[in-house]
Formats: sequence, structure tokens, C-alpha cells
Amino acid sequence: MIRFLRQRCSQAVVVLLLVSVIVFGLLHLLPGGPARAILGTHATPTNIAAFNQQNGLNSPVPVQYWHWLTGVLSGNLGFSYVQNESVSSLLAQRLPKTALLAGVSVLLAVLIAVPVGFFQAVRRHRAGDYVVTTVALVLYSTPAFWVGILLIDVLAVRLRVFPAEAPQGSFSALISDPQALVLPVLTITLVTVAGFSRYIRSSVLDELAQDYVRMARSKGASRRVILFGHVLRNAAGPVVTLLGLSLPFIVSGTLITEYVFNYPGIGLLAFDAATSQDYPVILGVVIVVGAATVVGSLLADITHAILDPRVRASAGIG
Amino acid sequence: MSPENVASVLGPEQSTAEAEAEATAGGVWLRAFVRNRLAVTGLVVIVALLLLSFVGPLFYHTDQVHTRLGMETLAPGAGRPLGTDDVGYDELGRLMVGGQTMLEVAFGAAAVAVVLGVLWGATAGYFGGLLDALMMRIVDALLAIPAILLLLFLATVFRPSVLMLIIVVGVTAWLVPARLIRAEALSLRSREYVLAAKTMGVRSPTIIFRHIITNSLGTILVNATLQVADAILLVAALSFLGLGVAPPATNWGAMLSDGLNYTYSGFWWLTYPPGIAIVLTVLAFNVVGDGLRDAFGLDTRRG
Amino acid sequence: MNAPATRRREEQPAAAPVLQVSGLDVDIRLPSAVVHAVQDVSLEVWAGETVGVVGESGCGKSTLGLALAGLLPPEAETRGSIRQDGRELVGLRERELRGIRGAEVGIVFQDPMTSLNPTKRIGAQVGEALRLQRGASKAAALRAAADMLDRVGLPRPREQLDRFPHELSGGMRQRVVIASALICEPRVLVADEPTTALDVTTQAQILELFDGLSAELGMATLLVTHDMGVVAGHANRVFVMYAGREAETGATETIFETPRHRYTGALLGSILRMETPRKSRLGTIPGRPPDLTAPGTGCPFAPRCTAASGECTSQLPAASEEDGHRWSCYHPLDAQETKRIPEAQR
Repeated sequence: MIRFLRQRCSQAVVVLLLVSVIVFGLLHLLPGGPARAILGTHATPTNIAAFNQQNGLNSPVPVQYWHWLTGVLSGNLGFSYVQNESVSSLLAQRLPKTALLAGVSVLLAVLIAVPVGFFQAVRRHRAGDYVVTTVALVLYSTPAFWVGILLIDVLAVRLRVFPAEAPQGSFSALISDPQALVLPVLTITLVTVAGFSRYIRSSVLDELAQDYVRMARSKGASRRVILFGHVLRNAAGPVVTLLGLSLPFIVSGTLITEYVFNYPGIGLLAFDAATSQDYPVILGVVIVVGAATVVGSLLADITHAILDPRVRASAGIG
Repeated sequence: MSPENVASVLGPEQSTAEAEAEATAGGVWLRAFVRNRLAVTGLVVIVALLLLSFVGPLFYHTDQVHTRLGMETLAPGAGRPLGTDDVGYDELGRLMVGGQTMLEVAFGAAAVAVVLGVLWGATAGYFGGLLDALMMRIVDALLAIPAILLLLFLATVFRPSVLMLIIVVGVTAWLVPARLIRAEALSLRSREYVLAAKTMGVRSPTIIFRHIITNSLGTILVNATLQVADAILLVAALSFLGLGVAPPATNWGAMLSDGLNYTYSGFWWLTYPPGIAIVLTVLAFNVVGDGLRDAFGLDTRRG
Repeated sequence: MNAPATRRREEQPAAAPVLQVSGLDVDIRLPSAVVHAVQDVSLEVWAGETVGVVGESGCGKSTLGLALAGLLPPEAETRGSIRQDGRELVGLRERELRGIRGAEVGIVFQDPMTSLNPTKRIGAQVGEALRLQRGASKAAALRAAADMLDRVGLPRPREQLDRFPHELSGGMRQRVVIASALICEPRVLVADEPTTALDVTTQAQILELFDGLSAELGMATLLVTHDMGVVAGHANRVFVMYAGREAETGATETIFETPRHRYTGALLGSILRMETPRKSRLGTIPGRPPDLTAPGTGCPFAPRCTAASGECTSQLPAASEEDGHRWSCYHPLDAQETKRIPEAQR
């Protein structure tokens, strides 16, 4: 297990470094150089020269990277001239809200998808399975923003049950108005639940076809014993890994949902920054999200290893 | 009815990769696919949409270049089956034009993604070792950044056009096939026929193409189909956010975005047709992809 | 319908057979066809004896084994009779079958790696049947598991209880599987190709293990295999199957020395034996096994048989019986032809 942990953690560190390199690269890919990008189109050559001098942009690239990386690691993610605030303080305000939205949605999605997936697998090829599979397929093929729009149209506009927009204030303002969270959470949950339950269904089906299930039956195990005593544990591992792999997808869905519902998280922050060409903010979001995804994946893999002893033993692959 | 089919009822025997290789040879997969009614229906829907988008305008002439203010947001009626949009374009015609863009970008992006991903993954998996580790860490790093963010960034830097969309979407989508093909390559490279080829002195690129890739055709095909579905969703999302192609060109995502302003006014024909079109197309590709996956006997947990 | 073959007079024991199968038919309903996997099979197995069920892949021997263990999939339709210690198994509901599995009938499958749950410890898996069938406590089950592991020859059984399947070698895993199948000391053991996935040395050890346990526990053992060599060394009687039907059955020495059915002769001619002359070629059986979805009239082996004639294809041959040895063939092998088998001409 230790060997496994060591290997995965060192892999994660390498990936994080690569993410930082990518972000750094993007920063310098911008036309006109980072100075122009950050200061905006009104910047004069003098401003640019001063900026370059101040921020060490005349040094060789590896040196710049090092300075930038150490800056990032100590919490300095740059400054947004558009919003006149440091990127880290902007992120600090918005990140908890996105985390709340994404966290609740994913939890809900898992809590629904696991029993649904099991149900589908056990009732395979019967009416119940077909109905659920069809609904899941349709949901799976619907873009997140369309789901959001439909929910707004039906529940907010016509039925007036939930508000169409999220409150803009602080974090505590959000929590104190749970009604406003319902539609955004529902949007993300619906979109993720479909993919999850499909995966769980086939995972359970795969396990049920295994020889050890036959063996358990041959000892007199009932279906319940097989499902809960054998299959659940074996199917849980891949599901956890799926969660880890789905993080980018979940984040994408969350970002779009924030846009649709005007939810004040880092997604909306990123979009606003994109339209106002506020590059430090966009890149700040990229780095934070990237790091969170890598860490999340790592945690998922570790959990999988706890659940499945074969994974621990297979350290050394890839 | 072969003993293998009976065995499949009585207990698992073959490994998935072997099953895939068998299904690929002799077009067994094609016959299995044709028997899947849902998948065939999906294929029919795709062909219908292709016809609607590319052949439709030849029969249904509408002006998609000049706006006609004074004819805007008219409900469906005589001569305009789906009404008009907010600048007077015929909605059905818009749907067709939008479909062209969507499908062009989706197919193009899927092609880019698959070619890039397959080459990357096959190389990484076949050579293994440090090269594999490095190549896969790069994939991991790129995967950690949500495509939307990356695309947001790239879209603000480059001018939007069909070609740019294809490249941008393809460049974010190649990661998944890379992972999949790498897994295939890892398991195939220790097969006897590969080892035999190596011993005979066959050069690596040839081995990769003739043995690894050809035997992963099933996975590649399934993934390519699903890539198209994902690309459509991605392009729709991008366009919805306003980062797609510029007018008078359009696609369904942009149409949805434009029509959004009018939901409160009840102009359903501005949002539901493009929305349903997106869902239908993506659904069709997903169903075809699933059907192909079943036909090749692939593990649903991959691909 | 065939009545089970009578045994040689001298060997008839006083007790009734543990397992008595009469006229068993098993059909498997697939979406596009019905497979007649087992057709009109009758056999008996007494306590302490081992019957080898042989035939090529697809001949129905595995289906027969599964039927005996009550493990057929829902698509299967069973007709006829399977009596275990007088109790009828065909037609039982799932609930009742559950009580029989593991307790009365144990089964061991071919691949020990996949037969064991990779995420559960050995001890728990071996003791599982005891907990399910006898309501034993966790501790009691583990104790019994350690005992059983010892009996199947696993070194340091107490240490193995906490390990996972992937930590053991193939031979050790198969011993674990056997232990878990026998922990309730069932009356019947079905072993479906138990040694095919193992190397030759381990094969021999496992087969000897079966011999010992069979005698020790007084079980009726069915050894399902395609390997005549396995049967030769470890079965009291042989049941040769072809295309879901019985081709020939009898005591092992009889079958090997004086086979009568042409298929049996062909099988024996395709294996390497001590008597096989050095420079000969191993015989093969031309053609392919028949399609079980459309059994024709007549003897199923006729299309591949060198001695087939008109009546072979038009009507199923009736069984001939001689002193516990039974075969169904219009042109059984005579003494001359039997002598030539080691030369592997056919």
C-alpha cells in the first residue's frame, strides 16, 4: 500500500507541475505578450516596459517560470486590473460557493445513481430497466445549459416555485436561501446522474457475470447476499475511480450552470473575465480548478485502492 | 448457434480484448450491429439530420444572409413551418444552416481528436516505460483542466471560425481516446504475434499500425462516434456562451442563446427546435456508439 | 427413455445411489434459437465413487454439471428427473434450491482465479457456505475454514485465512475453491474441468486430492472433463457424451480396453498413450460438432463417423447393454478395431 501511495502521490506532483507549466505557457502565448494582455489594449509602450521590468519579464523564461511558480505556491496568483483586486482574493470569495454547488450536486447524484444503477442491472431487460435506461440516455444527451433553461422555464417562470437567479451576496447569504440553490443543484445533478447510473448499471452487470458470483450462488447465497455481500464492494471501486475521472466534466457542468443561473461562483467569474479579457483571473481559475481536479483524482484512486486489494498490489503500472 | 453463445449464457470465458479482435475480423460486428434496432434507428436519425442540414436548403430556399426586419419573431404559419427569429431569418432555414455548422465542426473535431489520440496513446502504450509515463502525465494534466475553461481562454485569443472551432474542440477532446488506446496497446503489445513481429525485425511504427491499431479498431470506432456526440455538446455550450461562429453563420447553440431572451414572451419556436435538435442528434450518436460497443463486445466501462 | 445402466453384478452395493438422473433434457432459450444442450441423459452415481463425464467442448457436459448443482440460468428449461438421495431436484423453486446448493451439492469450476471474489479474504470465502447454510457464527466458520484448508493440503492454513486470492498461486487457489465447496460436506461434488487451468504437476496433486476427499467424505463425485487422461487415472466409471446425448458409459477399464461407440474409439485414438507407436500421427476427428439448435434425426455422430451408414442418419440407435457397459451405436467397434486404436489410424 505504501508503495502504491508513494507512486500515485509522486505522479500527482508531476501532473500538478505540468498543469502549472501549461498555465504558464498559456500566459505567455497571449498575443502581444503577457504585459499587453494583463494591462489591456490601452496600455502604452511605457506602461508595458515598466510592467515588464517590475515583473521580471525580461529575464530568461525558466527564471520567470520559477518566480511565477513560487509566487503561485505562496498564494500570489496575480492581480486583476479589470476588477482592481488580487486574483487570490477574488477566488477566495467565489470558490466556497462553487464548492458548495458542486459538492451538493455530486453527493446527490451519487446517492441517486447507485440505487438506480443497481435497480437497472437487477431488472435488466425488464420494463423498469428500459424506462430508466431511456430516461438516462436522453438526460445524458442533453446539454447542461438546456436542462437549466428548461428548469427555469418550467419551475421558475411558469410555476413560480423556485427563483430563476441565485442570490449575489456572500456565502452566508447563499446558505440562508436554500430555495435558490434548488434549480442549479438540480441541473448539475440531472446531467451527472445519467452518466453515473449508466456506468454503475454496466459495472454491476459485469460483476454479476463473474464466476465468483456463480460460486456464491453455488453455496446457496440469495440475490440479496450476492448484491450486498459481493457485488457492492467490487463495483464500488470502479465507481470511485469514475468519480475521480468525472471531476473535469462535473466542473464544466457547474461552470455552465453558474452562467445560466447567474450564480456567483468561480465559473461566472471566469466567464466575466473572458468577456473582459481579464487573463490573470481566467488563468487563476484554471490553475485552481486544475489543482483541485488532480487532488480529487488522487483521493479517488486512493479510495479505490482501499476498496480493492488488487489495485494496491498493481503499483508499478503506468 | 455456436458453443460460444451458449457459453456466454453459462459463464464468462474470453477476455475482452480477444473478444474484440474476434468481432472485428470478418465483419461479425457489422452483423451484430444491424440486429440492434435501437442503434439502427439512431443511424437513420443521423442520416436524416445530415440530409436535412445539407440537402434541405436545396429544396427549401430561404435567405439566410440578409436580415428582414419587419418580419421578426413571427409564429409558425403558412410558408414558415417554424416561424422566424429575431432578425427575420426563417427559423427552419436557420436550423438547417446551424446543422451544417454543428455537424461539420463535430465530425471534424472528432476526426482530429481520434487521430491525435490514437497516435499518442498507441505510441505511449506500445513503448511503455518512461516515455509512456511522461506522455500519460501530460494527458492527465490536460484532462485536469476542464475543456470549457481552456476553450474559453482559446476562444478569446483566436478569431472564431469553423476551422478554429474544429481545432480547438479537437485539441481538447483527444485525451480520452489517447487513454483508451494506450490501455489497448499495453495489453496487446505482449501478444505473441506482436512479439513475433518484433523478433522478425519489423519496425515499431509498422507494428503499431498493423497490429496495435488494427486490433483496436472497435474501441476507436466506438470512441469516434461518442466523440461526435460530445463535440456537439461542447460546441453548443461554447456557442451558447457566445464564443461560436459569427453571424450570419450560426449553430444550434447560438440559436438557443439568441432565443433565450424570448422564452418569457412565449416564443417557443425560437428555443425548442434547436434544443430538441441538439438532444436528438447527440442521442442518436450515443445510441449508435452504444450499439457499436455491444456489437464489438467491448467492456462498457471503457470506451 | 433410457433407464440408468445397471452395474456389474459383483459390484452392486446394497445402498441406493446418491445421485440418480433419468431422462434429463435441458433446453436453453436464446433470443434467436433454442439450444438443446442435454438430451435424454440418465446416469447414477454411488457414494464414494467418481464418474468421469467426457466429451468435446459444447457436448453438454458442463450444462449437465450445472443442472445437477441447480445453477442453470433462467433461460434454461429442464425436464426429466434428478434425484439426490431420493429427493427430486427438477422443478424445485429457487428458495428450495438455495438450501440444497452448497449443503448437499457442491461445485468446483475451472478457473480458480475468477471463482474467488478478489476483494474478500480467503477465510471469509471458505467459510461462507457454512454461514449461509448452517447459520454458523463468523468465528466458528473461520475455525472450520482453517480445518478444511488443512484437509485440502494448504500449508499454514491459519495464516492463509487473512490473505486475498491474488496472493496465492493457481494450485493453492484451486485448493481454496475446493475447500469452500466442501465445507458443508455435501453428498455430491461436481467438478467442472477442475484442473484445466493448472499446470501438469499441480493437476496431478489436485486430482489426487479429489480421490482422497471423495473416499473420506463418501461423496458422489462427477468429474466433468475433456481430458481422457484425467478420467483414466481418477474415475471409477466413465460417461461419454456427444451432442448432448449419452454415447457410451461403463467402468473405466472397460471403456479404455473395449470401447464400443465409434466416437469413444475416435477419442481414444486422438490421445497419446503408452501403447501408441513412436512414429505414428495422432488421430483427429474430422468435421465439427453438430449444431445443438437443430438436432437432426439419427445418430448425431454420423456426419463425422467413418463407419456411418443409411440407418445411422435416419434413426437414433437403441442402447445395447452388456454387464454394466452400455453404448448406442449401429456399428460398434469389434475386437480387431479396438486393438488398432493405439496406432491412431482414425
